[in-house]
Amino acid sequence: MKIGITLIYLFLLASLFLVTAKESFAVSSYVLPYPSVMPGNIFYKLNLIQDELLRFWYFGDFGKFHYNLKQSDKYLVEAKTLFEYKQYLLAHKALLKSDLYFKNLKPILTKAKEHGKDTSEKNVLLAFASEKHIEILTKLRIEVPQVFEWKPEGKKPKNLKLMESLGESIMIRESI
Amino acid sequence: MISFFLFIFSLILFSLFSYGFIDPNLIYFRNIFTNFAFQQRELTTFIYGALVLSLFISFYFIFKKPKFDFKNIRNLIILTTIILLFSYPATLSYDIFNYITTAKVTFHYQENPYIVFPIEFVNDPYILFTRAANKTALYGPFWILLSAVPHFAGLSNFVLTLFSFKAFIALFYIGTVYLLQKIDRNAVLFFALNPLVIIETLVSAHNDIVMIFFALLAFYFIKTKKLFSIFALIGSILIKVGTIFLVPVYLLTLLNKVKGEKVYIYATISMFFVFLLSPLREELYPWYAIWFLAFVSLIPGREKMKELLIFFSLGLMLRYIPYMWSGNYFGATPLVRNLLMVIPPILYLFSLWLKRIYRS
Repeated sequence: MKIGITLIYLFLLASLFLVTAKESFAVSSYVLPYPSVMPGNIFYKLNLIQDELLRFWYFGDFGKFHYNLKQSDKYLVEAKTLFEYKQYLLAHKALLKSDLYFKNLKPILTKAKEHGKDTSEKNVLLAFASEKHIEILTKLRIEVPQVFEWKPEGKKPKNLKLMESLGESIMIRESI
Repeated sequence: MISFFLFIFSLILFSLFSYGFIDPNLIYFRNIFTNFAFQQRELTTFIYGALVLSLFISFYFIFKKPKFDFKNIRNLIILTTIILLFSYPATLSYDIFNYITTAKVTFHYQENPYIVFPIEFVNDPYILFTRAANKTALYGPFWILLSAVPHFAGLSNFVLTLFSFKAFIALFYIGTVYLLQKIDRNAVLFFALNPLVIIETLVSAHNDIVMIFFALLAFYFIKTKKLFSIFALIGSILIKVGTIFLVPVYLLTLLNKVKGEKVYIYATISMFFVFLLSPLREELYPWYAIWFLAFVSLIPGREKMKELLIFFSLGLMLRYIPYMWSGNYFGATPLVRNLLMVIPPILYLFSLWLKRIYRS
């Protein structure tokens, strides 16, 4: 009898844990920027021009590294915000941009190493950034729909494979 | 003539004394490292004080009794430059290491010095002794561009680069003296042999002299080559922003609203104003006095004001004493530093007052 009551107690306790438990993520100390101007804002295009101009200002291997990481962070935050507001098309675009900049990082560091620069600290920074990005992307995977049908006016509807894109983004970050 | 020899003798001693300040992390000078200035603080302070006083006293007498013809003054300037060119630069300030490291970030690593910190080059040996390694470039783009000359002249050898930077700054000192002589021959002595100017320029190799050279160049060519003159002023501003305060005087001179000695009076006031504002940004560094001393020298007459500024220059050089003695910037250091700065000019004004009372 006593054993039965104990088992019931244990079952209830376990159920409580199962009900209240939330999915946990690895938390990185890497800090992402605040969201900047969003698409639709009149300053968004100016922001894009500024980004292009800054590309020249950030010359050199480490300069390019800083630029690409900054841009990747910025567009990831933009994508996250837009996903939260269910602006899936724009969010998807921002995510692809973030991926594009992130992909540049490793080749830049390889080049820097070829130029005789010590890249050990930059590799650590990249690993932290990657960890943080994966943390955000994993959270987003729970929140966004698998596929989103985008119906532009007067054009054929388009399926955005959001889950697949997020999976690819995570893979890019994991592969560094 | 005694003051002449005392001046040269003090310079030689100062040049030798400067090697007592070799940084323990400066691996390139390991063979001549003594740790003298950091272990024998009291003695170091005493020697420094004695040498600075000796330089100012001899300079004061040279200035007060200008029996020497211009040729002698010129020879003394050349001799001063040669003696101090071989002194160790990081005696009173470490700025020369910032110049060298910033140039290395730009021209050797080919990175933007306004974005990339020197400290990001983890294994670079220069980081060991560069004080502002955790800061991006502190100077204007024109200075960074100019610093390519001594950087490449150094042929990737630190000692050669260090002395290339010193020689480069010395060239601008000579250039500034030449311009002063072209504008007014009488201006040369007050500026070129002022111990503050020569120590901060020829020993510590501060780039303020480069900024002043281009500012003077702008005023020198203001009537004859206007476009060149405008570019020279822009160049000066792009070295260190300080000379931006000369723009109103410059424009008034360009439009003929201000003429003659008034140009230099207004330029002096403008630069003295920036000098007084400098503690708002960082602190009152002695070498900032170069900004107005160059223009004061061009104001004819006003001997008493110039003598007062010699005493003020002495006070500014005494600002180094509290740190040299104690090795820290806190506690009583800031107060003593300011007291030491104001005592010499106050004593001078007091002596003038006494003289007036005695005469009356």
